[in-house]
Amino acid sequence: MLLFSYLLMSGVTTGALYALVALGFVVVNKATGIINFAQGEFFMFAGFVAWMLHVQMGVNYALTFALAVGCGFLLGCLTERIAFRPLAKSDIVSLVLATVGIAFVLRGLARLIWGGKADYLSFPPLTSPDPIMVGNIMVIPQQLAVLAGTVVIMAVFTVFFRRTRAGKMMQATADNAKAALLVGIRTDRIYTLSFGTGAAIAAAAAVLTAPLTLLYPDIGFAFFLKGFAAAVLGGLTSLPGAVLGGLLVGVAESMAGGYIHSSVMELSPFVVIMIVLVLKPSGLLGGRAMRRV
Amino acid sequence: MGIRRALRVAAAVAVTAMVGAMPALAEEPGVTADTIKIGSFGALTGPGYLYGKLVMNGVEAVFDEVNAAGGIHGRKLQLVREDDRCDPAAAIAAVQKLMHQDQVFAMIGGGCSNATFAARDAIETAKVPTVIFASVHDGITVPPAPNIYSTALTSSIESQAQVVFAQQQGAKRIAVVSMRDAWGRARYTPLMEALKAKGITPVADEELSPDANDATAQVLRLKAANADAVIMILYPKPAAVFLRDAYKLGFKPLAVGQSGIADPAAFEEQVGVPGATAMFRTISQVKYTPDDPAMDKWRKLMETKFPGDRLSVYNLFGIGSAQYLVEALKRAGPDLTRAKLIAAFAGIKNFNTDVHPGPLTCSEADHRCHKSPAWLAKEPGGAMKVLGVTTVEN
Repeated sequence: MLLFSYLLMSGVTTGALYALVALGFVVVNKATGIINFAQGEFFMFAGFVAWMLHVQMGVNYALTFALAVGCGFLLGCLTERIAFRPLAKSDIVSLVLATVGIAFVLRGLARLIWGGKADYLSFPPLTSPDPIMVGNIMVIPQQLAVLAGTVVIMAVFTVFFRRTRAGKMMQATADNAKAALLVGIRTDRIYTLSFGTGAAIAAAAAVLTAPLTLLYPDIGFAFFLKGFAAAVLGGLTSLPGAVLGGLLVGVAESMAGGYIHSSVMELSPFVVIMIVLVLKPSGLLGGRAMRRV
Repeated sequence: MGIRRALRVAAAVAVTAMVGAMPALAEEPGVTADTIKIGSFGALTGPGYLYGKLVMNGVEAVFDEVNAAGGIHGRKLQLVREDDRCDPAAAIAAVQKLMHQDQVFAMIGGGCSNATFAARDAIETAKVPTVIFASVHDGITVPPAPNIYSTALTSSIESQAQVVFAQQQGAKRIAVVSMRDAWGRARYTPLMEALKAKGITPVADEELSPDANDATAQVLRLKAANADAVIMILYPKPAAVFLRDAYKLGFKPLAVGQSGIADPAAFEEQVGVPGATAMFRTISQVKYTPDDPAMDKWRKLMETKFPGDRLSVYNLFGIGSAQYLVEALKRAGPDLTRAKLIAAFAGIKNFNTDVHPGPLTCSEADHRCHKSPAWLAKEPGGAMKVLGVTTVEN
């Protein structure tokens, strides 16, 4: 039972990292209908900005968090203006490839700017570095901070999409951009807002998780892969789905590693995803796919 | 007429002599009457810069010292750097540029194993004398390419040393945790052979991904196997995650690293949990820590040459490697040719550099000149120290 508890907690805390990235995917997808392949690089870039502020310049953690989120938002807006808006009328493949291009540009920039600082940059934790007991198991406090951050971000954006005008306009734009335009929604602004928001979530995720993951220019792709898997598993348009997907990916990895062998850890979440998508193609909490006629 | 004829003959003789003498130099790219152009490839950007840019800085410090003393047989050394970004395709492009566009006489470089291994064929084909300064992949030097010698340790030497060290520390139940990408496999395979040769079966054999953010499952399995030593074939990031989670779960075996984690001070910061690195030991290619008084001379040179930089173990890799190259260039003589330099590489026996733990010995049959890894440890919050040297025979 203790083994199970440890593996479950480990899966949940690791899954929370994936969920944070998945939330960013879902926010962009809900408004634009595309997958942002630069989401992992937003995470990486904002993490380095936070490192520069907090470690190099001595800015306190709260202000670092706020500035990194602001920087992430601007980066997302900029991406929308240079890689999405000029291609908005193109087919979806062009749009997705544009985000792939942005990912490579950001990675190259990070290598140039921060690539010569260390192999892996460490980021001081928000909490005490010493493990603490939760029930009968030991946990690193920063892992709990990530878990809490995930839940808060999910809750904030669930309220945002359900209760605020901007959130509803984002959903309306995603459902039918032409109709949204006809009823007076400035869809171009909505796209900017959604890219900015997605990148801001990635930035928040980076500041929370950097003490656990360390920072290096190639970290974005690893998180992109797991975050995307989590978002697909949860249903691409569902915020609770993204969190559930992230947690399931984390738990699947952990359980497979603990009960089968560590060599199947990387494989296991994708097997779970395959099974889920065969049984429910729209993901666990995704809406039913609609077909325009 | 007699004088004119004599002058003609003398002129003809002089021209013939000059033409006869010139091919040796004219045919050797990168060599002039007063310079020798040496190329260097490795990562100048990205996380691998530790094994590229910093090592090259050490090489350049040695070249500066040699040049200040008048050069080698009157020729000053010029270093031309090329970025391979730790990427195999970029490494091939980098060495091709150095050899064919920059026309270097010889090369000293190779930081990331996979990148250098990919470039081996191009270097061998071009027959440019090359010294590897940091890459450890066995395939770079085994089977030996006639023109490539290495002052770096190799994977199989390090693997053997890891097993010997664990046994010397009294380990009875040895486990392995490894990455299984190309880098990891290049170490994992010789490690398993080294264990088998000693009649040891690992009590557990676990994998960890290079991007792992949690190692709870691996730690629990190793703990269940009651391992008293864990040989880690991991990059610093997964190794940091592993030790952090091991500490969290109260698992405190002897953790045996390798030169992929060559800086215990930086590693302690990466782990980030006080006390988690108390039992961590790792391999260094050099016998000194950067703060050792024996390195004062090099510290001053490096800090003068590269303001803002502090002497690091990676600089020391370059210093030792460059001293080997300089010694070979001296032995190759004033009529410098690539063939003579390659012969000089092979002829170096029991050569002590300022930094290597043991003497460098090369031969035509064995181009792995460095077989004496040093062991580093760092008390949590304390200073780094060298624990000893393990000399591997084969």
